[in-house]
Amino acid sequence: MKIQTETEGDWLTVFSLSGELDAYTAPQFQESLAETFDRDLVWILVDLGQVEYIDSVALGILLGGAKRANERDGDLAVVCQRANVLKVFDISGTRELLNVCEDRGQAQRLLEQRRAMAMARNKRGGQ
Amino acid sequence: MAEAGVLELKVPCDPRYISVVRLVVAGMGAQAGLTVDDIDDMKVAVSEACTNTIDHAFAAEESGSVSEPILIRFSPRPAELRVEVEDVGQGFEPDRVQLDLSQPPSVEGGLGLYLIHQLADSVQVQSAPGSGTKVIMTKRAAR
Repeated sequence: MKIQTETEGDWLTVFSLSGELDAYTAPQFQESLAETFDRDLVWILVDLGQVEYIDSVALGILLGGAKRANERDGDLAVVCQRANVLKVFDISGTRELLNVCEDRGQAQRLLEQRRAMAMARNKRGGQ
Repeated sequence: MAEAGVLELKVPCDPRYISVVRLVVAGMGAQAGLTVDDIDDMKVAVSEACTNTIDHAFAAEESGSVSEPILIRFSPRPAELRVEVEDVGQGFEPDRVQLDLSQPPSVEGGLGLYLIHQLADSVQVQSAPGSGTKVIMTKRAAR
């Protein structure tokens, strides 16, 4: 598995993963995700476009990441087109929880909207 | 010795080998005439069974002890693949593991076994405390 990380617009962390995400490789991604939270970056896009396989270990890490982002007023979205990977999201009932989108543009727009809503909430709360 | 057509694989109890097991699932699934989608389902089911073994079979043993290998038996039949994942670990009382298959588990634990049940056409779990565990999964070719 390969992991590429980039930051877009000072707020969004994009992980582009390729290969297989299982009990052996997924912990590597978990470490990268933890480092991102350590730097107070809470808006995460995980692009699984080049990922051929995921299982429950990967799902657990993604769900943990989404929970941690939500607790800190951020969010996580997943990009995925492969039918076999989408099937794992579908049968585990995690497609909505993980904001699974068909392409990166859609995922980025969703996170932009959520961020605008979070900023508006914080503004109201601060008044 | 394995019966004709049956392939037995002894895999170290280590997650680095699960991807190798998936390659064998693909080969044996193709021999049995499963579709690509069926094979993808079985890859996840068998991987989850191996992950469960690695996580739980020898979990209570003293640290530093060597885990015994996982025995995986592939039995391709016409339009059907049966895979057994067996360990000689600590085992468990199957009646004590409650699994509601009507919906995905809300807690993180149990997701692997839930996926196995959703993706294989039939699943049997044989286990007893102190006697290891055997998970038998069968996938039939889609018509």
